[in-house]
Amino acid sequence: MTAVPPQKRSPLIAGLLSTLVPGLGQGFVRRVYRGVAILLATLVVTGMVAWYGHPAWYFAPAGMWLWNIWDAASLAGGQPRTILIPVIFGLAAAYGIGWQVVGVNFAAASLDRALAVARPMIHPDLIERASDKNSMWTPVYVPCPLTGSSPVAQREHEGMVASATPNCGGPTDELTLSVSGMWPDTDTQIWWNTAIGDTNLLGGVNGNSMLVVRTDANGSLTTTIHVPLNILMAQPDKTLTLEHQIFFDQYHYTGGYRISYNGGYAIKGMLETVTMALMATLLGIILAIPISFLAARNLMSGNPITFAIYVIVRTILNIVRSIEAIILAIIFVVITGLGPFAGVLALAFHSVAALAKLYSEVIEGIDPGPIEAIRATGANWVQVVRYGVIPQIIPPFTSFTIYRWDINVRSATVIGMVGGGGIGLYLIQWIQNNQLRAVSAAFIAIAVVVILLDFLSAKVRERLV
Amino acid sequence: MLRVENLTKIYPGGTQALKNVSFEVKDGEFLVIIGLSGSGKSTLLRCINRLIEPTEGKITWDERDITAASPKELLKIRRNIGMVFQQFNLVKRSSVMTNVLSGRLGYANPWLSVLGIWLSADRERAIKALERVGIGDKASSRADALSGGQQQRVGIARALMQEPRIVLADEPVASLDPVLSHSILQYLEQLNKDGITVLCSLHFLDLVHRYATRVIALKDGVLVFEGLPQEINRAKFKEIYGEEAQEVRATSFEAPA
Repeated sequence: MTAVPPQKRSPLIAGLLSTLVPGLGQGFVRRVYRGVAILLATLVVTGMVAWYGHPAWYFAPAGMWLWNIWDAASLAGGQPRTILIPVIFGLAAAYGIGWQVVGVNFAAASLDRALAVARPMIHPDLIERASDKNSMWTPVYVPCPLTGSSPVAQREHEGMVASATPNCGGPTDELTLSVSGMWPDTDTQIWWNTAIGDTNLLGGVNGNSMLVVRTDANGSLTTTIHVPLNILMAQPDKTLTLEHQIFFDQYHYTGGYRISYNGGYAIKGMLETVTMALMATLLGIILAIPISFLAARNLMSGNPITFAIYVIVRTILNIVRSIEAIILAIIFVVITGLGPFAGVLALAFHSVAALAKLYSEVIEGIDPGPIEAIRATGANWVQVVRYGVIPQIIPPFTSFTIYRWDINVRSATVIGMVGGGGIGLYLIQWIQNNQLRAVSAAFIAIAVVVILLDFLSAKVRERLV
Repeated sequence: MLRVENLTKIYPGGTQALKNVSFEVKDGEFLVIIGLSGSGKSTLLRCINRLIEPTEGKITWDERDITAASPKELLKIRRNIGMVFQQFNLVKRSSVMTNVLSGRLGYANPWLSVLGIWLSADRERAIKALERVGIGDKASSRADALSGGQQQRVGIARALMQEPRIVLADEPVASLDPVLSHSILQYLEQLNKDGITVLCSLHFLDLVHRYATRVIALKDGVLVFEGLPQEINRAKFKEIYGEEAQEVRATSFEAPA
């Protein structure tokens, strides 16, 4: 391109040609690459605007077209014009259209909604104050039987007596609850457990919060509630009388803290995730080592057959590596069923491809000098491998493997979300149940483990390199 | 006595590195090989311990035919031929001790050595070899933590572990500065005075004059000169290295005697 001498041509003809077809004038003055680039760029931008369909954006290709005429005319006099102008036109159209296509809408990200999510997350459900619990329940019957009378809604247990009056009722009916023999002067949480084990709250407006009543000095309390409105919704035969339970729970703090129920699952899930990553990395190593020798150019370029194997192996590795582990996990969940094993297989599959490529590059980078030196001492083949090859490849192999494990832990947290086990499985359930405090606990578990591993793996790798 | 007869090496690509080279080296000589880069010096040295297989010709050493040696015999022959390299060829990530011990592989029990187990006698010998080249305190350092001159001394210590009767030195000082060149060559000279035959390729004329007892020169794989170092004057040097060669003096100051 640089070898082409400047050609003096008629600016008028060059400009006219470029008016007809963008880039043609540039071609006319022997700047073929420039002409082709202008033509393609104009076509792409025009196509983009045509696809989006909003005519206002045609200013961009129009601007490029005008610049192209000016450029062609100037070029004929030997003076090119800056390509910054068409680049700005092109980018303006691309980003402007991109903005509208993805629907950037900062108003939708309202502060109120952000706060509604963030507020519970400030109090992660990871640890709680250690407490003793005193619990009591009474049966209650919903709805009242069509014929005959309801069983009595009363229960005695370890000196405590709880009852509901009347014994039965339909949705929204008022019930009087009383309980005695519980801890005195203690806040008592009262909630409804349906016949099929669903929790219904009884406080606030239409049961949107926990009903809390304090017991008197004798450990008794009496309060009135309404049978929850939707209590029969999931019941096919809405006339069938079933036993429901009303719970009275008391807590008192015994000092100290303990891991909460959900916090326990967050930790269990995280351990599962780390184990998944460990297993996947191990499987990855075992398969990647032999494959890496087939993917090492210096070993395989000796004759056409081995070189063909090298090309095929490399191509397969590149294809597998380009598929994210989470997409593989979706496939493996179908094959093996939900659970950590599917996740492990997905991660292992991806790890094999990634590790084999890294290992093969280590093998390609082996210094032949030390091998030659060890051979010169009269060492046999095994000794040459042990003293000339292994010391060169073990540190980088180890370094890459730890790095891969690090990546696998991070991938494994996400893989649970498609059913691959580990903390992601709990996380997706908590997100869907709007248990944001548990979600927050999971975030903490993930962050702590990932940061710790990141730090450790960096330290170890530093020493190996 | 090492005898090289009609040695020819043609690489698979068709490059002819050595053409009918014949010469003799008597025990205890310090033979220097000179010639341009690519003239076949490295190939010649590597043919002697058969790191490179000669295409034709014969190399005999005290009536033992190296070129006809079986793989097992070859290992036995190699362990008596030490080798020192331009790029030192140490395993950079291994310790100096491991690098020196690896010179003993030809003698060590193959299975124990693969497990990394060494006799204490070998370890003592390694320490002595390091002390002999003046770096006894570096045994536990990583090889790449050492300077170039120190690395080359590790290379010499490794060769010493072989109890060699011949040392092949392939441009041992080409990667070092002039002062270090002298210190390294003095170690080789010391070995030579202890009765070890040295074959060494060099580039600098003043180093040739200072250390060689005899000189051979290669040009395009052909032996073009064989004689005493004094016989190489500027004219001869230009003949070997070509008309455009300018002699670069290795150093303007003499190494401490």
